[in-house]
Amino acid sequence: MIGPSATRQVGHALLFFGLAAGLFFLKLLAVDTGPRAIPGPDFLMCLIFAWVQRQPLTLHPVMIFAVLFLSDFLLMQPPGLWSLLVFLGAEFLRTRHSPSSEMPFPAEWGFVSIIVVIISLSNILILSMFVPELLHADMVMVQALMTVTMYPVVVIFCHYVLFVRRDIQMDGITRGAAR
Amino acid sequence: MARDNNSTAEYTRPVRRILVGLLIAVMSATFLIWTIDSPRVERFRAAVIDRVVPSFAWLFAPVDFAIDMVSDFRSYTNIYEQNQELRRELRQMKAWKEAALQLEQENAKLRDLNKVRLDPKLTHVTGVVLADSGSPFRQSVLLNVGARDGIVDGWATTDGLGLVGRISGVGASTSRVILLTDSNSRIPVTVLPSGQQAILLGDNSLAPKLEFIESPDTVRPGDRVVSSGDGGVFPAGLLVGQVALGADRQLRARVVADLGRLEFLRVLRSHSSEVITEPGGLIAPRLLEPEQLSASEVAQ
Repeated sequence: MIGPSATRQVGHALLFFGLAAGLFFLKLLAVDTGPRAIPGPDFLMCLIFAWVQRQPLTLHPVMIFAVLFLSDFLLMQPPGLWSLLVFLGAEFLRTRHSPSSEMPFPAEWGFVSIIVVIISLSNILILSMFVPELLHADMVMVQALMTVTMYPVVVIFCHYVLFVRRDIQMDGITRGAAR
Repeated sequence: MARDNNSTAEYTRPVRRILVGLLIAVMSATFLIWTIDSPRVERFRAAVIDRVVPSFAWLFAPVDFAIDMVSDFRSYTNIYEQNQELRRELRQMKAWKEAALQLEQENAKLRDLNKVRLDPKLTHVTGVVLADSGSPFRQSVLLNVGARDGIVDGWATTDGLGLVGRISGVGASTSRVILLTDSNSRIPVTVLPSGQQAILLGDNSLAPKLEFIESPDTVRPGDRVVSSGDGGVFPAGLLVGQVALGADRQLRARVVADLGRLEFLRVLRSHSSEVITEPGGLIAPRLLEPEQLSASEVAQ
């Protein structure tokens, strides 16, 4: 397997950081400051999970760490917890990425769903142990559901808009993802 | 995690494994430190936000403006009905204005008669809302005024109509306002006219709960809720909203401030209220000194 060229490496890094900054910006935008009944999906998590399974070589762990850690501080979450869980999920998905085994998209989606649910449950568990006053278990689970439903959309966005695709050797998987 | 033998040689490089372990350790340590020494980490968070968010500020303004324009444009479609409604309201308002002017004059006269002194210290700093909390679990906004404008933690914030929240977290040029609806917000309030004391508990809904009311029977939906100033953190008498009965028979306060669209907020400079420590002294004729006392006894 040939590693990505330096230009692609830099381009993808810039793209990733730019998208993360855009997501932060949209989240922080004070358009509707009232409380919402239904939390939106965590697009950042979708993006990281989709990316790390398509182009693991251009998404360095330090990049994931930087964006997640900053998001915890910016978005008033308990610092370190959510980023740690998502980081572990992403690194686990990275180890699963191997060119030999083909994974059709429905399988990938199911796999990611399980990871999202595990992350959310651990988040609830740890919050209930350390800071129970910050726990909104129902909202965390609704957010997990929204994240899982939005995952295919993010994957399609990655494929057709960002051109973050699997490498050519794994064309079969790419077709599955683009469906 | 990265110890899987199936992965390519690229990932099993020990350097990367150490790096991943290090990053995991950093995140776990941050969380643990936060659970132990929350104020210090929150100060750090305020500093981070103070650095990062104002760099977005040049973009916030035009995007907010564009979204406002779109929503305004949408309202053009029913502009005729709106116009009629506004005229009707204007007529009512004129009548109210007349009444208000008369009341104001009467009030001024009565105040003069009573020699009421309004608190001159209760002045305010106005700030612009920079950013949302960004998380569906927290209800707070970021203001563009901070420590350099003299903002202090705990000060009350209103939007001109009613109480919005309190300052919690001050950076050099930004400060965070925890809204009444945040699940961490607890504010002592009084329900008027019954005068019942209550605590306003935020619970991530538009109408925070009213708890710890001594006799809930005397509180009726529609009563006014004002801050009580108990505990000395908040100034007393700031309008919060009206009592409403939730679907779950829970007394709630419908907040009068427009929490959905916060743009400019007033931060009230409340100075620490003076505390009366000793009970009132005995009011008696001035006691005589002992030698005078003995002299007077001798004289008798």
